[in-house]
Amino acid sequence: MQQHEIHRFLVKYFQANECDIIEQGPGFLRVQLTIELDKELMNRPFYWHYLEKTGGIPNPMQLTLITNKMLAPKNMQGEVIHFGSPRLHQIFQSARSLAGYIRLYENHHHQNGTQIPLRPWLGMNVRISYQCDRKKDIFKSIGLQLINGQMIENFHDRLLTMNLTPKIPDYSFTLSPIIMPKSGMTRVAGFLQNSILQEDHTWADEARERWNKDLDLLEHFYEDEEEKADSYEIEKKALQEQYEPKISISMVNGGLFYLTDHAVS
Amino acid sequence: MSVQIEFDTSWQEEFFKRIDSDGPWGNWELYKLAIEVENHTTIPEFEGLQAPEHLPNLTPLPHQLEVAKQVVENMNGKAILADEVGLGKTIEAGLILKEYMIRGLVKKVLILVPASLVSQWAIELNSKFFIPAIAQKKSYVWEQCDVVVSSIDTAKRNPHRDIINNLDYDLIIIDEAHKLKNNKTKNYEFVQGLKKKFCLLLTATPIQNRISEIFNLVSLLKPGHLGNEAAFYEKYKKDTRSLDDHDHLKELVNKVMIRNRRADTGIEWTKRHVETIPIEFSEKERALYDAVSAIRSDETMSSSQFSIMTLQREACSSREAVYYTLRNMLTKQENPSAQFQGSIQRLVSMVEAVDKNSKAEKALELIQKIDDKVIIFTEYRSTQLYLQWYLKQHGITSVPFRGGFKRGKKDWMRELFQKHAQVLIATEAGGEGINLQFCNHMINFDLPWNPMRLEQRIGRVHRLGQEKDVMIYNFAIKDTVEEHILKLLHEKIHLFEKVVGELDDILTKLEFGNIEDHLLDIFGKSSSEGEMKIKMDNLTSMIQFAEDMKEGNIHAAT
Repeated sequence: MQQHEIHRFLVKYFQANECDIIEQGPGFLRVQLTIELDKELMNRPFYWHYLEKTGGIPNPMQLTLITNKMLAPKNMQGEVIHFGSPRLHQIFQSARSLAGYIRLYENHHHQNGTQIPLRPWLGMNVRISYQCDRKKDIFKSIGLQLINGQMIENFHDRLLTMNLTPKIPDYSFTLSPIIMPKSGMTRVAGFLQNSILQEDHTWADEARERWNKDLDLLEHFYEDEEEKADSYEIEKKALQEQYEPKISISMVNGGLFYLTDHAVS
Repeated sequence: MSVQIEFDTSWQEEFFKRIDSDGPWGNWELYKLAIEVENHTTIPEFEGLQAPEHLPNLTPLPHQLEVAKQVVENMNGKAILADEVGLGKTIEAGLILKEYMIRGLVKKVLILVPASLVSQWAIELNSKFFIPAIAQKKSYVWEQCDVVVSSIDTAKRNPHRDIINNLDYDLIIIDEAHKLKNNKTKNYEFVQGLKKKFCLLLTATPIQNRISEIFNLVSLLKPGHLGNEAAFYEKYKKDTRSLDDHDHLKELVNKVMIRNRRADTGIEWTKRHVETIPIEFSEKERALYDAVSAIRSDETMSSSQFSIMTLQREACSSREAVYYTLRNMLTKQENPSAQFQGSIQRLVSMVEAVDKNSKAEKALELIQKIDDKVIIFTEYRSTQLYLQWYLKQHGITSVPFRGGFKRGKKDWMRELFQKHAQVLIATEAGGEGINLQFCNHMINFDLPWNPMRLEQRIGRVHRLGQEKDVMIYNFAIKDTVEEHILKLLHEKIHLFEKVVGELDDILTKLEFGNIEDHLLDIFGKSSSEGEMKIKMDNLTSMIQFAEDMKEGNIHAAT
C-alpha cells in the first residue's frame, strides 16, 4: 500500500464514519472524531465510563495523522501512519468489524408506473488460508442467487459497478428467496470446499514430508530411552503444530443484495 | 492427499440474527473499505518477505534480509543465527518475527535474553519493528501479553516457570544462546521443556570450544538432527575442537545454522586505530612490582603460580587491586603462620608507600586530550573504584559499569554515560551485553589474558552503527609481564587489526587448549627470561600456523 493510497483510505474511512475532517493537505489530515469513533479507536474506556456516570459533556478527541513526512508541514505534531503502523492496522480491524453485515438494493432507473422485481442474492467474501509452517491467503467473493441457485465468482467486483442503496428504491419490490440464507451458506461453503479439493496440494504433501523427516529425527533422538522424557511428547506435539497442513475459510463480510434481473447476467 | 478444511461459522449466527431483527446493517463505504483492506493484507504467496514493506524506519542490510528469507523459506523457522558480533542478529530475529506475525503464523512469543539486554530488546522491537513487546516485570505478563522479553534466570524460577510451562509458544527467541552449551544445566533443561513451534537461537560464538557444545545447541533446536547422544559421540570424539574436520557434520550443522562474516557482508566498516602507550612505573610502584614478583622464591608464601601472576598483573593496574588480593590471601588462611603474616604485612606496607598511579595519570592526560566520550576497561573492581575517585578529583565525570548490575541499573548507567558523563569505567564482566557505539575511544587500562574477552570489549564499540573510526589505546607498563602480553597479542598475533570473529576462527583451529593456560605457563613457570622467550615464540608460531592453515583453506576453496 503506497502512502497516497493510505491517505485516500483514511479519508474514506473517517468520512464513512461521519467524522469531520478539519484540515487536510498534502501528507496529513486532522480529524474530529465522533463519540463512537473515539470509543472505537482511542482506547480510553475509563474516560467514557466516568463521563457517563457523571453526565459530563463528551469531548471526543481530534487525531492528526501524517501520511507523508516530506509533504506535511514541518514541525507538525501527529501520528506518522505507514503500512506497518499499529494505528493503521487498528483502523483496518475497525473497518472489518464495523461493516461485517450488509443489506443493499440496486438503485435502478425505473420506468414510470412499472414495478421492478429485485432478486435476492447472498454475497459472501471470504479469506482462504493455506497454512503449514508457511502460510498464504486467497480472497474470494461469491454471490448466490437465492431464487434459482446461480452462483458466480468475483461477486464484489460486479457490485462495484452498480448503484446500490440501503433503502428499497421506489417502484421496486423484492422477491422472496426460495433458498433460505442458511442453506445458501451451506451451498457456498460446499462450493468452496469442492473447488479447493480440485487444487494442486503439493504444498501440503511437501509439508508432510518435512514433518515426517523431523519426526524420524525425533524418534531417533529418543530411541535409546525406554521411558521417553516429557520433552519427547512436547516436541512431537510442537512438530504437528509447526507442519500439519490446514486450510481455513474465514468470513470477511457479506450480506443480502437485491438486484434487478439484468444486473448479473 | 486430502487436506483438512475448516469453515468458520461464527459469522453466520450473527447474520441470521440481523436478518430476523432487520438490521443493523453496515455502511456500504465501510464495507468496500473492509474489502480493500483485505486485498492489501492477503498474502497470496508462501514465499517472499512481507516484513520490509511494514518497516519504513528500518533499512535492513542485504545479508540480514537473506537470513530472514532463508530461515522462513528453507529452514522451517528453526535456526541458529550465528553471525559474527555486530552484524545485527537482533535485526534478523526481528525481521523473522515480524514476518511470521504479519502472516499470522505467530502470535505468542517468548524472548529470552541476558538481563542487561531485556529493555533494549523490548525497546528495539517496539520502535524499529512496531511489535508490542513487553519487558517482563509482573508475573501476570506471561499470560496476558503476547510478546514477552525476559531473562532466563527470571523465567526459570517459580512462580514464572510453572506459568510458562503451561503456555504454548509459537516462537521462542534466545539471545546469547551459547550459554546453553551444557545440557546438564538447569537453564538447558528449562529451555528444552518449553513448547515451541518455531525457534531462533542467537549466538556469536557457536563453536567456542567443543563439538559437544554444538551438539547440545542443535539438539535443543531440532532433537535428532545430529543423531542421539550415544551415536553422536561414538562418531565424533567429544573433545574435538574443530567442526572442519568432519565435512559431513559441518554440512548437517549448516542446515540449521547461518553464519555471516564481516568480510562476506560487503559493508564498509569504520577503521580501527590501535595505539600502544608504554608507561614507566614510579620508583615506589616498581618496588612493589618487584616485591610481588619475588614471592616466587619466598617459601613461606608457597603460593600458587596463579596468585603470583595475579598480583603481578594487579600491580600493573593499581595498588588498590594488590591490597585487595593480599587481604584476601590472609583471610583465606585458617591459621596463618607469623612468618606468612609478616610477609603479607611487608607487602602491604609497600602498597601503602605507593603515592601515585602512573597509569591513572596517563589516562587522565589522555582523556583531557581526547575531550570526548571514553570507555575505560579494567579487570579489577578496586581499580574501577579508584579510577572513579581519581577522575572525580580532576573534574571528570564518570559512571561505573559491572556485569553484576541489575538490568535497570545497567540501562541507567548506559544512559547516564550517553547523556551526562564523559567516561564509562567497565570491568570485564560488564563488557558483555551493552552496546556503546556512540563512543569511539577505548582505553584498555589493563589487559585480559583471554583474547576472546578482549575481542568482546572491542565489539562493544566497533559494531554496526559506529560511524567514526575507533581508537583503541592499550596501556602497558614497561618491563613487566603486561608488556610481554601486549607484545604477544598485538605484535605477534595482530589481535587488534583482526576483525571481530576472525580470532574465534583461528583459536578453534588450535588443538592445544586454552590460551590462558599457555600464558600462565609461560609467565609463571619459566625459570629464566630466555626460557620465557622461547616458549612465547613457540606459542606465536602455533597461532601463526593455525592462521596460515585458515588462509590456505580459503585458497583451496576458491
